[in-house]
Amino acid sequence: MQKIELMAPAGNFESLQAAIDNGCDSIYFGVEQLNMRARATVNFTLDDLEEIEKRCSEKNVRTYLTLNTIIYDHDLSIVKTLIKRAKEANITAVIAMDQAVISMAREQQMEVHISTQINITNIETVKFYSMFADTIVLSRELSLRQVKKITEDIEKDQIKGPSGRLIEIEIFGHGALCMAVSGKCYMSLHSHNSSANRGACKQNCRKKYTVIDQETGFEMELDNEYIMSPKDLCTIDFLDQVGDAGIKVLKIEGRGRAPEYVAKVIKCYRDAIDSLANGTYDKEKVISWMQELEKVYNRGFWNGYYLGQKLGEWSKESGSHATQKKVYLGRGEHYFDKAKIAQFKIDAYDVAIGDTILVTGPTTGAQEMELKQMFVNDAPAEKATKGDEVTMKLDFKVRRSDKLYKIVKTEFAEN
Amino acid sequence: MVVITLQRKKCIGCNYCVELAPAQFQMSKKDGKTVLLHSIEKKGFFTIKSFDESIFDCSNEAKKACPVNIIEVKQI
Ligand code: SF4
Repeated sequence: MQKIELMAPAGNFESLQAAIDNGCDSIYFGVEQLNMRARATVNFTLDDLEEIEKRCSEKNVRTYLTLNTIIYDHDLSIVKTLIKRAKEANITAVIAMDQAVISMAREQQMEVHISTQINITNIETVKFYSMFADTIVLSRELSLRQVKKITEDIEKDQIKGPSGRLIEIEIFGHGALCMAVSGKCYMSLHSHNSSANRGACKQNCRKKYTVIDQETGFEMELDNEYIMSPKDLCTIDFLDQVGDAGIKVLKIEGRGRAPEYVAKVIKCYRDAIDSLANGTYDKEKVISWMQELEKVYNRGFWNGYYLGQKLGEWSKESGSHATQKKVYLGRGEHYFDKAKIAQFKIDAYDVAIGDTILVTGPTTGAQEMELKQMFVNDAPAEKATKGDEVTMKLDFKVRRSDKLYKIVKTEFAEN
Repeated sequence: MVVITLQRKKCIGCNYCVELAPAQFQMSKKDGKTVLLHSIEKKGFFTIKSFDESIFDCSNEAKKACPVNIIEVKQI
């Protein structure tokens, strides 16, 4: 079994750093408006490309630029610019859906990955796209048995991409699934004129709906009103079967998620993939990974379509089932390099010895730890409250752009 | 007077404003974002003031259609 590449989402520098620090093999990110998270308030810009590449190449992390929205005529020149700049910045590959993007990337001799929006579900289509791409993301609606058949046929028929290597298959491993066929949805467009296919999904399938018979006015009885809102995909509990299907890349969804989410999910999957490789993957570990994954944003978990075509499992409540959440405490003020002491100003709530704290920032990523000691006004303290200047020993540099949080349990923690 | 403002940086280039108010908006081939024609920029906000009241309705339609809410249309 080949070792699976762990691919992390990066919506901003915080998440990017969190992904690198927790051991991803590759990251994917969007620049400017032409990606599926165009709506996000924070998005990378063209000028960030060099910095992204620098941080990643230092740790041998591959970089994939997503350019996977529908493309209009007026976009063509920016697409060209983006690909050109990505090539100059040594970005590893472009993830493409539109043929224009594929062809422009090939012109610039950039490696191409075929995005899930193309919905590849059979070996002939794999063969077709192998003329242009080295990595192909399969449709999310396939079972692992079907995925396995495709990877075996690639091997058998020796289907190679432009690089001369056998085609590598990528699948989704964890994160939000939506009701639409592999990321192609018109719901948001119809209801809010906000096209998901231009990266402006309003996620309105995540809401409660009632179905009413227009003729009689009767409401359809539904056990669960969130009829279009599937639970989140999780594969960590059958990762051995995923590996057995011959895939090369496992993609973690979540470019809109907070850095501590990326940190936690990547850490768990890193551990799981490594365990699989060294033969220590077992039930006990799975239980502890699941407990960790439940701590951060999730809508409940299910196995997607991978273990057979059973009907979707729908989430029962809106929003997250996370067992933990972060509470904002304050900002970084200073870091004394020699003594490794960080100083924070507490702007809200309070924090005490024994609390789990989280520091996030564009360079810091997401660092979580138990608070063992701290000083308020230079004296050792058990507790600090709003207005206090707090210092504590931290092994990593804290910057003024960093934020300090504490982790608290949510109502889902008791269940 | 009709005042139209566009926060151009956040535009995702979906083209709806152009479809609804082609006399006011045009897609830029340079960066794929919309241009508010004849506007003046101040700190990222592009503004036009026009005495032609007839442009209000279509511009307002564009405002309503914009998925990222970056068009402002006022009648003063
Ligand atoms: S409708 Fe909004 S997002 Fe779309 S092109 Fe116009 S300004 Fe840009």
